[in-house]
Amino acid sequence: MTEPNAAFKSTIAPTGVAATSERRSVLETRGIAKQFDATQALDDISLSLYPGEVHALLGENGAGKSTLIKIITGVVQPDRGEILLAGDRVSLRSAADAQLAGIAAIYQEPLLFPDLTVAENIFVSHQNRGAVVRWARMYQEAEAILAELGVAIDVRSPARGLTLAAQQSVEIAKAISLNVRVLIMDEPTASLSAHEVAQLFKLVRRLRDNGVSILFVSHRIEEVFEIADKVTVFRDGRLISTRPKSETSPQRSIADMVGREMGLLKPRPLSPRGDQLLSVRGLGRDGAFEDVSFDLHRGEVLGFGGLIGAGRTDVGLALFGIEPATAGTITLNGKEVTIRSPREGMDLGIAYVSEDRRQLGLSLPMSISANITLPMLHQYLDRFGLIRHDKEQATAEAFRKRLSIRTSSVDLAVAKLSGGNQQKVMLSKWLNTRPSVLILDEPTRGIDVGAKAEVHAIIAELAAEGIGIILISSDLPEVLAMSDRVLVMREGRAMAIFERKDADQETVMTAAMGQSSAVAGEVAA
Amino acid sequence: MSWLQRHIRPEQIRELSLLLLIIVAVLFFGSMIDGYYTSRTFNRIVSSIAIITIVAVGQTLVVLTRNIDLSVGSIVGCTAYAVGTVLGHYPGISPLLAVVMAVALGSLIGVVNGALVAWGRVPSIIVTLGTLAIFRGLLVDLSNAKTVTTDSLPPWLVNLPRLNMFSLFGLDIPALFLMSVIVVLIFHLGASYLSLGRRFYAIGSNPDAAALIGLPIRRLVFLAFVLSGSLAGLAGFVTLARFGNITVESGRGLELQVVAAVVVGGVNIFGGSGTVIGAMLGAIMIGTLEQSLYRLQISEFWRDAILGLLILLAVASDAVILQRLRALWGRADLKYVAPAGKPSLEGAHIP
Amino acid sequence: MTVLGRLKSWEGLLLAVLVAVVAMNVVRSPYYLGVTNIANLFQLEIEKIIVALIMTLIIINGEIDLSVASVMGLSACVLAWLFQMGTPLPLAIIAGLLSGLAAGLFNGFWVAYVGLPSLAVTLAGLIGFRGIARILVEDRAIGGFPLWFNTMGQQPVLGPMTASIAIFFVLFAIIVVVLHRSALGRLVYVIGNNAQAARYSGVRVKRVKMALFAASGVVAALAGILYAARLGSVRGDMATGFELDVITMVLLGGVSIFGGSGNLVGVGLSILVILNLRNGMGLANITGNTQTSVIGALLILSVLVPNMAQVLQSSWKGRNT
Repeated sequence: MTEPNAAFKSTIAPTGVAATSERRSVLETRGIAKQFDATQALDDISLSLYPGEVHALLGENGAGKSTLIKIITGVVQPDRGEILLAGDRVSLRSAADAQLAGIAAIYQEPLLFPDLTVAENIFVSHQNRGAVVRWARMYQEAEAILAELGVAIDVRSPARGLTLAAQQSVEIAKAISLNVRVLIMDEPTASLSAHEVAQLFKLVRRLRDNGVSILFVSHRIEEVFEIADKVTVFRDGRLISTRPKSETSPQRSIADMVGREMGLLKPRPLSPRGDQLLSVRGLGRDGAFEDVSFDLHRGEVLGFGGLIGAGRTDVGLALFGIEPATAGTITLNGKEVTIRSPREGMDLGIAYVSEDRRQLGLSLPMSISANITLPMLHQYLDRFGLIRHDKEQATAEAFRKRLSIRTSSVDLAVAKLSGGNQQKVMLSKWLNTRPSVLILDEPTRGIDVGAKAEVHAIIAELAAEGIGIILISSDLPEVLAMSDRVLVMREGRAMAIFERKDADQETVMTAAMGQSSAVAGEVAA
Repeated sequence: MSWLQRHIRPEQIRELSLLLLIIVAVLFFGSMIDGYYTSRTFNRIVSSIAIITIVAVGQTLVVLTRNIDLSVGSIVGCTAYAVGTVLGHYPGISPLLAVVMAVALGSLIGVVNGALVAWGRVPSIIVTLGTLAIFRGLLVDLSNAKTVTTDSLPPWLVNLPRLNMFSLFGLDIPALFLMSVIVVLIFHLGASYLSLGRRFYAIGSNPDAAALIGLPIRRLVFLAFVLSGSLAGLAGFVTLARFGNITVESGRGLELQVVAAVVVGGVNIFGGSGTVIGAMLGAIMIGTLEQSLYRLQISEFWRDAILGLLILLAVASDAVILQRLRALWGRADLKYVAPAGKPSLEGAHIP
Repeated sequence: MTVLGRLKSWEGLLLAVLVAVVAMNVVRSPYYLGVTNIANLFQLEIEKIIVALIMTLIIINGEIDLSVASVMGLSACVLAWLFQMGTPLPLAIIAGLLSGLAAGLFNGFWVAYVGLPSLAVTLAGLIGFRGIARILVEDRAIGGFPLWFNTMGQQPVLGPMTASIAIFFVLFAIIVVVLHRSALGRLVYVIGNNAQAARYSGVRVKRVKMALFAASGVVAALAGILYAARLGSVRGDMATGFELDVITMVLLGGVSIFGGSGNLVGVGLSILVILNLRNGMGLANITGNTQTSVIGALLILSVLVPNMAQVLQSSWKGRNT
């Protein structure tokens, strides 16, 4: 349910800051909308941020959170709508504009200069510190700011050697030094230990008490409910609700995050369980994921649910050999195997379709047929080692028909195709390797509804042919409609495996966010 | 943190170890060569490296920004020749003016380089390979292949290399060497204490972040090349003073020795770190090796082979160490807070 | 403009320039288009254009090899040194070729397997290989080769065409086929375009790079030996600076310095342009050094002009959206 922001003007604001009906928002967005290619990333977003308040933003992957952040920080321009700063309309055309307006953002990956000292990093974007660097004074001021935050870091050391938590503190110090009014924190706790998170929250509370307005984006729902004063939920580019913490709960927020009609997607008929194809036990890679175990059967679609950064892609990369696992075992057709390179993965019949079709999945300037035959090029050579174009074309044409790739010719450069058709070319490429295990990573991301349906139909056909499919997707309805079982990952661990009949959006999301609920549990295949 | 970690940074460790290596090398050669520890040896070494050091300072600035300047050899040749010719015709020109002319000419060439790299967006390797050829060719053409001879030069210039400013521990310090040391000090102070200097490090260290902050990257890169050109011009003046006879081939190949000095001196080929003092130490290391090998009567032709090897070793070791550091950088060790119930396979089905 | 469209127009431009240069030269010298003269045209720079062919592959692959001229010198010096010590010349030739292979493998190891930037590695090679060459030959000039060697590069084999020219055309044909019709050629493009993506498609990137650098070493060595044969004597500093011409020939041919695009038609045309240009300048009594500066200017222009065209194009587009 969408609740208009006007209602909040008379809400009693939570702890600390006295509320009056004329309390001015420091930053307000009205009717912001943004479209990327075929997707409406944001639609009619009206949100108000108040000083001295921690405002949490929740939403699934693709709900529009990062787009909103980009708009507020001036990196991207909205198609419609306006931004008001303390009541006045502003136009944020660049990161510098946002900075001047007192808006700063801290991301999961800090943007520091590794070779400059901590103190320099804090002050590097200041325009008016003078032509000469007064080191002693800079160190003093840096230490003072960090002391304000209750953090002790050696300001003389280069930023390169700092832990991620320390780097984040430096980023916050940077923002403070610029007298930030609105601080956006995008997944700041994703890689921090519990202790470091506690320290960070102390900092956040300090900032809040000093009147800074904080927009806190995180998937860790228990943390959100610990630190936030207000909770806003996005879904599919829309603002679903904004409520004070006291008026909502984790369950309610999750329900808002996923509460959508399932009707549009026809569930794929469940396959009868075939023979065990792939068996993974205790698989792990340092720094990415650990202790992941599951089985995959012929003709089965095993969905991998979870939030971005949960480690699903890493598991895929380990199975395919791009980033080999450092622990655990992989058993294929009863034989234990090690997969240390993509070649080995391919030879074993495993194929991985990347989530990033433009940067990793396709060679954009090359033709459709060249892309499709690339992994199996050795099969298209004549006895002199030259490429047989006719054979290539035949293969490409066959796939064009089978997957309904819309193009005037298979010799066209892939860059010219629409997203959906590019996705199909990528699929063709890997189907051409005749895999027995097909790992699909976000196969319908950024493509239109029609193409999406076609891809789903293809997946269903492939499963019917006996291929074991691992479907990594952040599109919950898709995962639930297509999978026979769903494995949910969170922060590098497998949380639970659900049979389809036991899974719905809420249970999956709950597991993905690490909440215990009556339904979640551990499952042996 | 320990005092050591507080006051000595990793790059400084690199430079200190280089200094140590130089001392070790000197001791090593001293044990093998009679009469090594004389002021003559010292004089030889410092005279030969004065030129390279000055150019290496400019090259350091360029490399800090993730670029390279291969045209410095041609710049040195052009300026040495031009100033020499002018002095030959107008011997009354003051020393100061002569230096200014050299620097100005060098800066002009630097302007061309800088503009092409910064605004033409042509990679610096291409630009400076091209200007290396263009300006060498211009030199040969405009000079009609005549030579600048010592006789044509004013006496103050010819005597300059022999001018010793003072003595330190019984060693005479030549004026020209002192000049190079002063240049190093000035630019070291500039790179350490001027905001402008620190910006060179920033744009090499993280170009994306630099762009995001709004640093004037193009202007800074342009400036780096102009400075490199000016310093090469100054080095041209020193070349003229030292050699007197300047042919159109003067300075050819200098760029390779300069890049070697810079790389060996710890300036990172990927940009962002290293100091001009390190570059000077690199020059000293290479100069010492060269002179000592010469004294050992190992043919001079070994110099280039060793130089190439040194560059490779320096880049490789820095890269490997850098790779390890970069792996640590920005990568948090994911700390898993153990959940209440560890997912196990011998578990119950969902109720 | 599509990549294809742009290339087409670049080659058109090159063709136009070629015609203009040839026309100017014909005006100056009426025998210019005679067969003997054309053969001579090639002969004068034959070693450089041979190396340019392999450099094309390297640059399309996204790397660069600055050490080619030094490898030329190295192989010639290895040959001369061995010959002077009494080794039979055919064996010395093989040794020279092997030294080029070794140099190429050395380069390839650091670039492909250690992951160092090819600029730095081949710059070190440029210095180092030249150094080794000079250790062998010092500052002498070694000559006294048997007649068959000296005329090898100069003897007309087919009409006015010498063995060297024949080698060039054979190599040209081979590389055209390899680059445009073979699996290796496609991999070269793919890796140059996006090495990461190539890896994700199961391409053995390291092997391809290693193979290319090894080939570069061998071809440069061959060119060095042909050069020694043509000159009749070997010096430690021979072929110094050749890399400038070689790289210019490739980049002027429309091959992008960033890798992933370019073809041999363009390189072939740019070779013709540069050959005729140098020859024409020679006819106009322009000295070798000035000729080199013109080549240097061409090198810069070959990257500057497309850049500026792109900048203009995107700002034109920007104004129209």
